[in-house]
Amino acid sequence: MAKKNEKRTKSGRTKGYEKRQNRLGYAFMAPWIAGFVLFTLIPFGATIALSFCNVNTNVTGYDITFAGWSNYYTAFFRNTEFVPALGSFLGMVIPYTFVILVVSFVMAYLLNKIEVGKGLMRTIYFLPVIIMSGPVMSQILDKTEETVQAAQGLYNGYEGVFILNMIRSYSPRIALFMEGIFDQLTMILWFTGIPIVLFVSGLQRINISLYEAAKIDMANEWQILWKITIPMIKPTALVAVIFTIAQLGTYDTSAIYSLIKTATNNTNGGFGFAATYSWIYCVVVLLVIGAACLIFKERQPKRRDIW
Amino acid sequence: MRGKTKTKGKIKQKHNFRWWRNTIAKGVIYFVLICVGFVYLEPIFEMIAKTFMSSADIIDPSVTWIPKKLSLNNLEVAGTVLKVGPTLRNTILWSGGMAVAQTVVSAMTGYALSRYEFKFKALWFVMIVLAFIIPTPVTMIPRLMMFVSAQEATAIQLIGTAIPQVSMALLGQGVYSTVLILIFYTSFNMIPRVLDEAAQIDGASSLKIFWFIVVKMSATTILVVFLFSFVWNWNETYITGTLLRGNIELLPSKLNMFNSEFSSVATAQGGAFKLNKAYKMAATLISISPLLLLYVFVQKQFIQGIENTGITGE
Repeated sequence: MAKKNEKRTKSGRTKGYEKRQNRLGYAFMAPWIAGFVLFTLIPFGATIALSFCNVNTNVTGYDITFAGWSNYYTAFFRNTEFVPALGSFLGMVIPYTFVILVVSFVMAYLLNKIEVGKGLMRTIYFLPVIIMSGPVMSQILDKTEETVQAAQGLYNGYEGVFILNMIRSYSPRIALFMEGIFDQLTMILWFTGIPIVLFVSGLQRINISLYEAAKIDMANEWQILWKITIPMIKPTALVAVIFTIAQLGTYDTSAIYSLIKTATNNTNGGFGFAATYSWIYCVVVLLVIGAACLIFKERQPKRRDIW
Repeated sequence: MRGKTKTKGKIKQKHNFRWWRNTIAKGVIYFVLICVGFVYLEPIFEMIAKTFMSSADIIDPSVTWIPKKLSLNNLEVAGTVLKVGPTLRNTILWSGGMAVAQTVVSAMTGYALSRYEFKFKALWFVMIVLAFIIPTPVTMIPRLMMFVSAQEATAIQLIGTAIPQVSMALLGQGVYSTVLILIFYTSFNMIPRVLDEAAQIDGASSLKIFWFIVVKMSATTILVVFLFSFVWNWNETYITGTLLRGNIELLPSKLNMFNSEFSSVATAQGGAFKLNKAYKMAATLISISPLLLLYVFVQKQFIQGIENTGITGE
């Protein structure tokens, strides 16, 4: 009898214990799992299925007919808005993510260096986390007045900037790109709220003794930054990048969003198109995130020449 | 003797040099932080300035920041257009309710992940992260169809009520639920397991352990998660716009439609007003001022909570 109770598993615990753990774990997870299956997994599959269908609304509900690849054909070749919207989304996400990542790391690094006025500075820099939302952003960045002036040739803020003129003489395209970044600097900065939070907590978790050891070995600040801080912060950077892309992806003033919204509101056969658009959009977002993961993946050191 | 003093002087010189270098570096850091901080706050300053300008000041090019005469006219007009009284109450109740639901379910999920070793735990972790990465529009259309079908089948009105979103929040699929779960997970991991075991020996059930030990010890975390959830639900407009369709009037969605709302109100009152930027800025200020007020009161706990719990789920 006693032997039966002592049956142990690999981890050295009794079987009853593991069963209990399993049961209780699932008991606490149950609401989330139910919600995930009901509101995320099934809809996700349904979107893929719907993207191959024509959906019409009728009195009793939905009338779904299989349509093959026609929705995709329409999205890419017949709809003149979709591909440019996708392009503009990519053209926004990639440079934005890069700039947001760099700026938020620099800001977090500097915030971590100061002592006096730390609280006040953090209060300012975390503020965007609180108030950032689609409507607020679109109201603040309402540049209609400036664009009207620009159309009349009254407004060009960057004509007199010496460095930009210098760059423009090399390559007008780079200058244009930089002007775009400066134009939307506020907006880009407002996306840095959460990444700064992430970086600050990541920086605080780096062991101080590492810095001390490096200082004893006569490393200067610059070397410490590149050889210790940046490699150590890489996992945090990946989280920040994923968060930024997800945030930019759900930022509901992009062109793709309005396309999907219009298609969703079109009750006469719109749902199929909306499903196709959003599914393609999802694939694009996942691809961008996957690329970010590849870039920030921890590389295994090929050889160790420390010894 | 001589050599000694010389080295002493050298050390002092070196020390002096280092002190100067550090001071200059600190100065540069503060300068950069303050400059960038200003860029952060500039839109808010502008908003506040424009809100209190009279219509004469807005046209006057010599006035940029400080209005010549303080005017509350913009606030009044924006308040009437937004119907600020009922809308504000609705929004607070709405975000608060959603935040409570999200906090409860995230705490439970975080507790399960932190304390129990169940089968396929790694898989569920991946699913939790995946639920965050998948863009919202992808799941929105079937969700909408599901609720519409359920509405047809049961003859209970669902679209345009709070039910769909409350049920989604209660089942852990609200706004950024993943982040909230991960915050709870990391913070629960920091509570020593010895306490659980002691309680277990004393015969406490797992629910009791959850409530009396884990929940009671994480007051700060709960506050942080609640605030995050509150703020995110406040700012969310896409899901709310699709499922609620403006049947409950909330501030952000009203702000979204401010231009059309304004013209309808203006024509109703005889077209005496013309939409200008000051009205919009006043409306924006109204819609974010509750959040700003909240932030002023709890910013210390908020920031410390974020930094201690380490939002990064590794």
